[in-house]
Amino acid sequence: MTRKPAASARVPDVIPAWYQRPWLGVFSRTLASILGGYALAASVNVFLSLALPMQRSQAVLTSMLLAIVACACVPLWAFATRSALRAWVGVLIPTLLFALGGYLLGAWA
Amino acid sequence: MKQGFRQSMAWLHTWVGLLTSWLLLMIFMAGTASYYRQEISRWMRPELTTAPVSQEVAATNAVNYLQANAADAEYWHIQLPDARNPTITMYWFNPAPKDGQADGRASRRARFGEATLDAASGTPIQARQTRGGEFFYRLHFDLHYIPVLWARYIVGFCAMFMLVAIISGVITHKKIFKDFFTFRPRKGQRSWLDFHNVSAVMALPYHLMITYTGIVTLMLMYLPWGIKAAYPGEEDKFYVESLGGLSEPRPASGTSAPMQEVAALMESARRQWNGAEVATLRMDHPNDAAASLALTQRDGKALSIATPTLRLDAVNGQLLERGGQAGGATATRDVLMGLHLAHFADAGLRLLFFVSGLLGCLMVASGCVLWAIKERAKHARSGRVGFGLRLVDALNIGAVAGLPIAFAAYFWANRLLPLDTLERPQAEINLFFAGWGLATLVGLLHPRRQSWAWLLYLGAAMFVLLPVLNALTTRAHLGVSLPAGDWVLAGVDLFALAFGLCLGCCGWRMQRWQPAVSAADKRRRQAAAVDGAPPTQVARDGGVA
Amino acid sequence: MMLLSLALAFSGFTALCLAMDKHQLEPSGTARAAGGSTRRIGWVGWTLLAAAFAAAVLACGWAVGAVLWLGAMTLGGIVITYGLLPYRPRWIKPLAYALPIAAGVLWLVEVG
Repeated sequence: MTRKPAASARVPDVIPAWYQRPWLGVFSRTLASILGGYALAASVNVFLSLALPMQRSQAVLTSMLLAIVACACVPLWAFATRSALRAWVGVLIPTLLFALGGYLLGAWA
Repeated sequence: MKQGFRQSMAWLHTWVGLLTSWLLLMIFMAGTASYYRQEISRWMRPELTTAPVSQEVAATNAVNYLQANAADAEYWHIQLPDARNPTITMYWFNPAPKDGQADGRASRRARFGEATLDAASGTPIQARQTRGGEFFYRLHFDLHYIPVLWARYIVGFCAMFMLVAIISGVITHKKIFKDFFTFRPRKGQRSWLDFHNVSAVMALPYHLMITYTGIVTLMLMYLPWGIKAAYPGEEDKFYVESLGGLSEPRPASGTSAPMQEVAALMESARRQWNGAEVATLRMDHPNDAAASLALTQRDGKALSIATPTLRLDAVNGQLLERGGQAGGATATRDVLMGLHLAHFADAGLRLLFFVSGLLGCLMVASGCVLWAIKERAKHARSGRVGFGLRLVDALNIGAVAGLPIAFAAYFWANRLLPLDTLERPQAEINLFFAGWGLATLVGLLHPRRQSWAWLLYLGAAMFVLLPVLNALTTRAHLGVSLPAGDWVLAGVDLFALAFGLCLGCCGWRMQRWQPAVSAADKRRRQAAAVDGAPPTQVARDGGVA
Repeated sequence: MMLLSLALAFSGFTALCLAMDKHQLEPSGTARAAGGSTRRIGWVGWTLLAAAFAAAVLACGWAVGAVLWLGAMTLGGIVITYGLLPYRPRWIKPLAYALPIAAGVLWLVEVG
């Protein structure tokens, strides 16, 4: 006998595999927001500190102000986008690009 | 997520807001109180007199004290009194001990000396020991009982959550313009949502500003990577280059020399500033031939936290240096920090900041209550309350009803603790947290509407009776302060009265609240009444709904 | 001058509030005004807000004045939305006229 689904959720006939459970997607996006958000902020911070065409100390300060905004945008992306995978990809690619740019400009030499 | 952008933002807003709401409420309440930390400090040291005295007299008194007690210090720092703070606060840095101990952080801190003087007499103040309003200021970013570094990371994390909550809230609020003036009381969940929205939108520029600038004030700690990348191996240089103002003072010469009168030095500085007032003085290498006096101007004209500075030779009075501007980014950061600290605000503007801060507290509080109401509505038919909702109810009670009790307990402790209590400032602070803890405990044990009502009544009573307690324990009560026109002291008492009455109103409404009756139940009741039978029990008691 | 800014912000928001269809009935208790007058009241509202900005800047300079203006609007908005509209809608229009006049008089007395 099939159970009647609750009003607020659709219970599938087959319990999905553990990696398809809804809460895992939320958890994944949350990690992407928090860890990825900070990683993006850090890489933006490093890149702009070296790339901005102004005096060193001013570039560092400006990069911090902008990195905060970047960090705030990450959770918005991570939860608005279609899947958790896209959330991670959408955060990691810019982070790696900024980090690469920073490396090319002399960071972590 | 298989839902629209707005819906996903609504989901994000709800969770990001809820999970940090209780800590954020404390941070917001402490921060809002900090707008009046000087006034609170004065109220908590009622023994202080406020004979107005000129800046020059105050500075002379300060220097005399320092010459007597710290003549060989590496530098003196003097904060002159102003309209809000009648004392002279000073600290100094003693020279390293001769036996060459390791220069660790603890030994560095041990080299600082501090004193607070009465401006008119030049003697240390004789007032009860208390952290005063400074406790609230420190609480809102250093928290308490945990290492300061951890606290600042936690607060920064919460602040970022708050920033995301604000942005996602704006995105998800479809009718932000249409509902701009909409508040419909006495309509249950709808009213709570209206209330939350209005408190958020009416002060939206403020909320965005205070959250972003809050993160900015500590951004050097959160994002040190850029400094390391741009200044490899020479990070100190960043701090020197990025701060505007004066450069490092010249080193001591080793030979002693008499300094000019500080009043004369201040006069000459004020002439350079077209009469603007001096706020702080810093004397480097006092009594040395290379002694120099750095003066900082009082706030008020511009938003920036960095006010004009200049440095004079303390021996011959010559102008050595004017504080310069480091650059656009420094100026921007200085303005952002200035906005957060609001030093520039006069009485009227300060009140507007305070009102906006209160709205922020109401926004956070109504948000967490709204979550519980919505969640409860989902379980209405089954009548059962899940563990999550019970926990949220308990935390809501502890934070929303309990934090006012904590604040009141701090003030009551200030008036009631014996003056010779050991570690008196910390004892007052412990009672703050005891009040909060007690309320949270009540919430955990009995997360029901009665707890709300009783705790709100308790908070109300503690605040309303504060002026009475003041009258019974000091001579700084309303009967004295109002005739004297002392609005600082009277203001704290009057605000306590007003705030207590508001809490009382909330408690009363909570007590009187009746659960909403569905249309079907209404018909059943009417039918039963017509039949003469007693109406059936309808809804159960629960938290807030 | 600061009080004048506050008062003008209040009146400006009152006008903008009345320019919205959904709030027409409460303050005046009369039937909805015609579409044209709604738009006109809207313009009056924006003008009053601009005047509030001017008063704030004259009082405190551009930077501090801008901050003051935002705070004035917050306070005005709160008074209307939490206080007057739900509980005393009939007071809104009279206050919207009276407050700027009173503040203006106070300013003239202070200046003169």
